[in-house]
Amino acid sequence: MDRTQKKGFVISGICVGLLVLAYMFNPEKAFFLDLIINGLLVGLMYALVALGFVLIYKATSAINFAQGDLVMFAGYAAAFMMVDLGAPLLVMVVVVSVGMVLFGFLQERLILRPLVGQPIVSVIMVTIGLAFVLQGLVTILWGAKTRELSLPVSDDPIILGPVFISPINLVAGLIAIGFLIAFGLFFTRSRLGLAMRAVADDQQAAMVVGIKVPSVFALSWGIAGLAATAGGIIWGNQIGVDTFLNLIGLKVFPVVILGGLDSIGGTIIGGLILGVVESLAAGYFDPLVGGGTKDFVPYVLMILVLFIRPYGMFGHETIERV
Amino acid sequence: MIHREAGVFQTSYEGDMSLYTLPLAKLTNGVMLLILIVGLPLLLGPHKMSIANTIALSAIGAIGLNILVGYTGQISIGQGAFMMIGGYTAAILSSRYGWPFWLGIPAGGVTTMVAGTLFGIPSLRIKGLYLAIATLAMQLIVPWMINHIKWIGGDLGSIYVDTPECFGFVFDTEYKRYYLILVFFLLAYYGAQNLVRSRVGRAFVAVRERDFAAEIIGVNLFKYKLLSFAVSSFYAGVTGALYTYYLRIANYENFELPVSIDFLAMIIIGGLGSVFGSVLGAIFIRLLPVALDLTVPVIAEGVFGMSYQNSANFLANFQLLIFGVLIIGFLVIEPAGLARLWEHVKRYFRLWPFSY
Amino acid sequence: MQIRRFIGRVFVLALMVGVASVPLALADEIVIGGQCDRTGPTKFVGTLICPGITDYISLVNANGGIEGHTLKYIEVEHAYKVDRGIEAYERIKRDGGVATFDYGTPIVYALAPRHMEDKIPGITPGFGRADAADGERFPYIFPVAASYWSQGAAAMKFVKDKGAKKGSKIAYIYYDNAAGQEPLPIFRDICKLEGYTCREFAIPPPGVEMAASVLDIARRFRADFVVSHLFGKAPAISIKEFRKNGYPLDKIISLVWGAGENDMIAAGCEDKKADGYLAMHFAGVGRDFPVIQAIIHTVYEAEGKEVPSHVGQVYYNRGVFNAAIMVEGVRNAIKSQGMPVTGEKVKLGYEQIKDFTLGGLLPPLNVTAQDHEGGGWVQIYETQGCDLVKNTEWFQGYRDIVMAEIKKAGEKE
Repeated sequence: MDRTQKKGFVISGICVGLLVLAYMFNPEKAFFLDLIINGLLVGLMYALVALGFVLIYKATSAINFAQGDLVMFAGYAAAFMMVDLGAPLLVMVVVVSVGMVLFGFLQERLILRPLVGQPIVSVIMVTIGLAFVLQGLVTILWGAKTRELSLPVSDDPIILGPVFISPINLVAGLIAIGFLIAFGLFFTRSRLGLAMRAVADDQQAAMVVGIKVPSVFALSWGIAGLAATAGGIIWGNQIGVDTFLNLIGLKVFPVVILGGLDSIGGTIIGGLILGVVESLAAGYFDPLVGGGTKDFVPYVLMILVLFIRPYGMFGHETIERV
Repeated sequence: MIHREAGVFQTSYEGDMSLYTLPLAKLTNGVMLLILIVGLPLLLGPHKMSIANTIALSAIGAIGLNILVGYTGQISIGQGAFMMIGGYTAAILSSRYGWPFWLGIPAGGVTTMVAGTLFGIPSLRIKGLYLAIATLAMQLIVPWMINHIKWIGGDLGSIYVDTPECFGFVFDTEYKRYYLILVFFLLAYYGAQNLVRSRVGRAFVAVRERDFAAEIIGVNLFKYKLLSFAVSSFYAGVTGALYTYYLRIANYENFELPVSIDFLAMIIIGGLGSVFGSVLGAIFIRLLPVALDLTVPVIAEGVFGMSYQNSANFLANFQLLIFGVLIIGFLVIEPAGLARLWEHVKRYFRLWPFSY
Repeated sequence: MQIRRFIGRVFVLALMVGVASVPLALADEIVIGGQCDRTGPTKFVGTLICPGITDYISLVNANGGIEGHTLKYIEVEHAYKVDRGIEAYERIKRDGGVATFDYGTPIVYALAPRHMEDKIPGITPGFGRADAADGERFPYIFPVAASYWSQGAAAMKFVKDKGAKKGSKIAYIYYDNAAGQEPLPIFRDICKLEGYTCREFAIPPPGVEMAASVLDIARRFRADFVVSHLFGKAPAISIKEFRKNGYPLDKIISLVWGAGENDMIAAGCEDKKADGYLAMHFAGVGRDFPVIQAIIHTVYEAEGKEVPSHVGQVYYNRGVFNAAIMVEGVRNAIKSQGMPVTGEKVKLGYEQIKDFTLGGLLPPLNVTAQDHEGGGWVQIYETQGCDLVKNTEWFQGYRDIVMAEIKKAGEKE
């Protein structure tokens, strides 16, 4: 771990310390704790969505503006299977996962491969085009009404002393952690994961060593599809499955800036930070300035981080400066 | 045969440096001006005039964005936010302090330029994805400020502006508004064409292509990036102010994220790095919903016999789908945009009728 | 090269076909129109309102039209975007439209000057500018149903009837935009008047995630009542969040756009998860009205078509309401001033609407040249399972405060 990463740990340690202090001196301890826990759990769910984005960016340098729409698409497929077709949960998960992975391969082949070598703006634009296509497609295929994606978790809050925890948030958070750990292990321990990291690091060198770069590209889009499935199921359960599910994609950017684009761990941390900041902003900042700060405070924080530490908390200092 | 450089001699410095050196180019330029100034208002009804106005307005903004993104290679998703700044500046100056529109529009442009410069100073030190996200952040922060800082946004976030008038001449029909917009459009267009041919324009391109090589030959990267940002913001501010005077209301909901994405689509489909391309892109993106609105129902009902209510939902979403497919299709088939297609047409006519 | 040229030609052809087409209006037709949002943020509303409008128009035409003239309704998709909304208005105007339905608060704001200029009246039921109730300041804008000010006032009256007293805690949760902020002055005035402890909670649109604010309302502020002004995706999410915090849904009263059947489904009504939620409506809900039955019979059954499930739903009935008002205005215009119909005549026609109830679907509506709102009557419905059950009869609230606010807005000009 280099010097910048060590600094990252120190800064986050200080932040955690500040939070603990804030808790101890807080007259409304239960509320504060509620906000923090809620923020952490939601943050994990944000991280899950951001995971797909980071995967694609690391492997192919493509900025996928359609990640939220992929989550929506997966959510729709899942809801369609469960609600309209009545498929059992496990069957649905398997079918949608496989489908999304294949869909990812298809996207890479049809849309991204022809644009190799084009400026980044064109790649961004093509993913925006993909987003529109997915939005229109989803309504044409499955209709605009909202579907409920119910998971076998009860709705009544778990009460631990003064603190309410929503079981569904907890389950979603655990699923998110599970996924993130699984991906982490995949990237560090398996040959395929190693190949993907090699391509992310230096495409030319990877080709020299014999790694098939186009296959790695396809694989990264496929795995991003898998992450989108998890995100789609979890968020679909939280907010219902309809075309607004794609809005979760906008949260990806603060996550990756706050946590750094370089590592799975960074994505998790970024998500947690975002969740907590949003929660605290809504709870404490809103009454001061008249509301609506929840969406915008993370972006202000993100801008500050960008100007001071552009590589996020745990990234490497590889940003080129003028 | 018609479009050839052979036989064309310049006998003065002015001639050599002029924007259109070939007789054919001068002729085409003149014809286009004639169509714009005289032809369109004669041929089009008020409804189509309103579409033309929207296209002209968008073209100004697209040209500005193209200078930043196409020529200098800096990614910005915050065009809408800059338009907001220009629009609200003009609205505040006109509605609260009684400034006439011909002061309000440049004022809007200048304010936005200042804002853009201030924003650019820290953010131009980061590249690629990070700049894009920083501008996205602006796109979210500026509306919040307008909404919550009452001095800027007024009570409900929108500010009404009186119909623009100039010494008693009131711009109250689409045609009169068209001429107002046309003046600014022509200034913007020819200004940009000249800018990109100049030393500054070449510096921009150098920054885009290989910035460290540009630095080596003496191009001050930071200065030119900032200049590009400033010019682009000025264009965006003028567009926002003009739009405010056109709608007679400044409302931040008109300039949210989908608008920024629309502008990106315009310059990419029109052609990055081409001023003429920006205009083509603006025409394409603004006409597309209208064209789809008119053609798809006719085909659906005529060919497939779908009744309106059954098909309305499908059609609206189908339009969205087609929009996305067209964008992807364009980028995959001709990534350099409509401008490149236009170049193909011109090149064809260079050798016509001997096209071997 | 070939494929490029081909695409180029197809594209140019399509554009030419599109732009050159000018639909002709039949000589005897009366043209009205409106925008529709089927793909934008209020698509759950638009996909129901618009069929409501066109079905009612079909019913009228099937019964001989208005005084023998057929009616043509032009619907233009605008995805809730202002520039497309304006283009839609211009298109309707070009095709001879004499009255419009303006869909969306920001679109109403942008079109208000044009309505004045073109002398074409626009109706904005249940949203838009609350101060447009003043017919003398806004001669060509007709809210014709409870505006946001009236809705806010009615919500506060309902809260008082349910037992709020001095010191009660009322929370107002709303979208952080122009539409959501409109009722704020009314809310604050009434809070001061009645001595309630009030707090406001702004949710930035689109309101996909609001856990912290709801947590605050339910657990820290511990509101006695919640007035909710959310629409689009947010109402369903708010219901879910309130449930997660164990907050009783029957303490929540939503303004008119927060309780469509789709919202209830999204909130889990099939598992009885939205029971008790209260919302106000400005038009009746359900199929138990003569006009809805007439539509079912004439437009669907007589043609041998299946009746779609959305007939009789909340937003569908509001579409019928909208169309009925426009038809009534045109009818009054023809009866009192004769053909040909113009926008000015329709404006006067609207102002002649007296005691109009459309068989009970509406409260008795009286529009005058000064009052373009008609009284601001609402009705409360409660969610039980996935059904909406009537909870109160038509009522208004705090009219004096609303009138004072309208007067204040007029003096500010």
